[in-house]
Amino acid sequence: MANLITIKINGTEHKVPEGVNLIDAAQSVGVHIPNFCYLKGMKGIGACRMCLVEVNGRAMTACIMKTKDGMDVVTDSEKLKESRKFVVDLILSMHPLDCMTCTKAGVCELQSYAYEFEIKESSFSRKKFGFPIDDKNPFIKRDPDYCILCGRCVRVCKEQGTSVLEFYGRGVGSRVTTAADKPLQDSGCTFCGSCLDVCPVNAIVEADRWRKGREWQYEKTESVCLYCAGACDIKVSTHKGDVAKVCAGGDDAMAEHFICALGRYGFDSLNAETRVLNPLKKVDGTLQETTWADAAKIVSEKIKGAGSGILTVSSITNEDALAIKGYYEAAGVENLVASVSSYSDKASLIGDAVDVENADLMIVAGLNPNQWTRFLPSIDALIRTKADRKAKLVVINSEDAKIAEIADVVLSGDEASLLKSLAKAIADAGLALPAGLDVLGASVSEDITKAAELFKNAQSPVVITTPQLYQAAANLALFKGGAVSVGYEANSKGVTLMGLQSKGLKCTDMVEGKVSSLLTVGHGPLPGRPKVDFWAAIVTNMTDVVKEADIVLPMAAYLETDGTIVDYQGRLKKLSKTVEPLGQAKPVAAIFTEIAKAAGKDISISASEIESLAKETVKVKAAPFEKRTDLHAVSLEIEELIQAHIVNGSRLFWLKEVQKVAVS
Amino acid sequence: MADEKDIKTITEDTSKYRCPIQKAILFLDEFIEGPMCAKCLPCPMGSYEMRVRCKRLAEGQGTLADVEAIKNIAPIMFEASMCKKGKDTAKFIIDTLENLPGVYEAHTDGNCPDKECAKLTAYRVIGDKCTACDECKVACKDFAILGEKRKPYLSGYYSYEVVDVRCTRCGKCAEVCKYGAIEVVNIKDTLAVKA
Repeated sequence: MANLITIKINGTEHKVPEGVNLIDAAQSVGVHIPNFCYLKGMKGIGACRMCLVEVNGRAMTACIMKTKDGMDVVTDSEKLKESRKFVVDLILSMHPLDCMTCTKAGVCELQSYAYEFEIKESSFSRKKFGFPIDDKNPFIKRDPDYCILCGRCVRVCKEQGTSVLEFYGRGVGSRVTTAADKPLQDSGCTFCGSCLDVCPVNAIVEADRWRKGREWQYEKTESVCLYCAGACDIKVSTHKGDVAKVCAGGDDAMAEHFICALGRYGFDSLNAETRVLNPLKKVDGTLQETTWADAAKIVSEKIKGAGSGILTVSSITNEDALAIKGYYEAAGVENLVASVSSYSDKASLIGDAVDVENADLMIVAGLNPNQWTRFLPSIDALIRTKADRKAKLVVINSEDAKIAEIADVVLSGDEASLLKSLAKAIADAGLALPAGLDVLGASVSEDITKAAELFKNAQSPVVITTPQLYQAAANLALFKGGAVSVGYEANSKGVTLMGLQSKGLKCTDMVEGKVSSLLTVGHGPLPGRPKVDFWAAIVTNMTDVVKEADIVLPMAAYLETDGTIVDYQGRLKKLSKTVEPLGQAKPVAAIFTEIAKAAGKDISISASEIESLAKETVKVKAAPFEKRTDLHAVSLEIEELIQAHIVNGSRLFWLKEVQKVAVS
Repeated sequence: MADEKDIKTITEDTSKYRCPIQKAILFLDEFIEGPMCAKCLPCPMGSYEMRVRCKRLAEGQGTLADVEAIKNIAPIMFEASMCKKGKDTAKFIIDTLENLPGVYEAHTDGNCPDKECAKLTAYRVIGDKCTACDECKVACKDFAILGEKRKPYLSGYYSYEVVDVRCTRCGKCAEVCKYGAIEVVNIKDTLAVKA
């Protein structure tokens, strides 16, 4: 926490932290300083000159100026108003003034400043450039004519490492473009849409937003995306009971303020043709519609006692997990397995609460996040953004990790032994070796010494790693800092904490036919029908594999349910219902209550129980430097199988095809 | 950008003109072409806008509103620009406004006091001074001068004329005339139609 100092803002004295920029400082005491090009959390560039303020009588840009004790800041004098008005006036002279039909009307910053400064029409000569519009993709539409050259999109794209956008030309006629002015899909764009979130005007907008309601008609709900382990905060805008758009949620200033194309556009799959709307049962080899009561009765008769099993994915909420557990106990089901148990167990997943956001050194061990293949994209973006914001990065990986391209030190080789050497080097560098740590026989190379030096100088290092390596990597947290184990699904930690790890058989055993009747929840990486006599599937979308099930129950997608999850950093996050479930779909918890009712049982879930269970943390203990071989790593192929139903039911299918063509 | 000029060189270059509007246009052209970095908004947009206005004034299309706009833009641009280059450019314009009061306004009436704005001026032959020596006709690339070279064995001759619609105001004829017989006048004072 920085020291508090006293500065004068418009004549009143305020206490603000030292060394933050003036825009943030003023915002914290409720004074808004107009700006176009400033982005919270990023370095100011002072380009738009909207944030000019008078500091001790001199005009300064507030986004660059850092707070110092005894400053006297005037944010709103006549002269400043005049110069801000001038900038807006000039921008308006080259802006298509079609606010009445503009998609961004209502959230457009240019519009609100023009209103504030009472500018109806630019007093300067109209300039129209007629740049070509890039609308060759179904995700992002770029219209350079609307651009006000604030550079936010360029900077946000650079910061997260994708670097697709850049300015072309100079001065008034310049515009934001891609390399060689190619359409986005040919320029390495991942369509994460960070540029969408930061664009203050209509220059970058969702391709499908036209006539999907105006901004002020939207209801905005904060929720969490469950499509991968990132579990990103999202902000969902709904209009007339439909999802209109999804934006990155959470605090703008955080490096975590990011969602990928899947999270942003995956909501298409809610209304896809493949969506299961009613309970279905197999009659004469084809699936026929039936009632909930009938379907629940059949399931409750089959899934109980010996020879039965429940297999669930881990991208369900804690409430769902407890309901499944409740039914498992009430009906005496023999086996209950969550997919999380195939790649982790409690010891390799649950650790101390760690704040990745404020780390100044990140050690990425064994994890291979990648925005381009959309494998844990938000973690990749988080690491790259933080590295761009001056955090140091060490990558330890036996494979060729893409994240290594921005690392300060890359250690390639066997992760476990490298971690051991690193621990030894840290001890050699002068930090006391924690008790119980065995670093005998470790050899230290030059790179490892460099990494140890970084570790020594770091205030709060964080190790980000896979469950396989967590126990080995967490040894570094005994020196200082923390360690995070990243599961491969959104709620792997929550499901583990709710006690669903594994009761009975393993995942593969279940599918291989060790049980006679099986109930699966969610879309797992099933290559085909499990070899069981009876298979009931609770799914959101129909796939070729699900077609072979005996009973299909419609499940509410994550945007259609309330609940909580525990994300990879151990934070309890809240999901909010944004739209009503389609057709007769129900949340998993409700489905299991229904099945239990059909079996004459009653299950109850209490919120306090979830909170107390989710709070559990495990103190890091010294462990041998070994890679757990009994746990499977989740590969990109499996991740793609899990996400296939989202991709096939949405615009992302187009992207997959385009990328396939590009590779071949 | 090897031959990029700096502000100082550009300022020196402008001394070839006397008319502040011409000076400003040259300065802004060179500035936008060369040293302007365009990292902030007021400087490129202000320069661009002022250039538009100055060109209109120079072409006789300008009104008092254009002069007002320039007078508004320059001081704010001087205040708000990020670096010295933008401030210098604004300062240059402010200087031309202050040192030569009324000149900008004169252009709105179609007068260029310095007779340098091509669209506002015309070239005319002073009949009494012309000796029909044909130098100007040789010099004129645009075939804008009519007349017949004086022959020593003929008495009497007609003085030469400048055909206004062909004249491009390059000034070559006035340069070569040894007798000072070619003058530059405001186009308003001639009967010629605006070219």
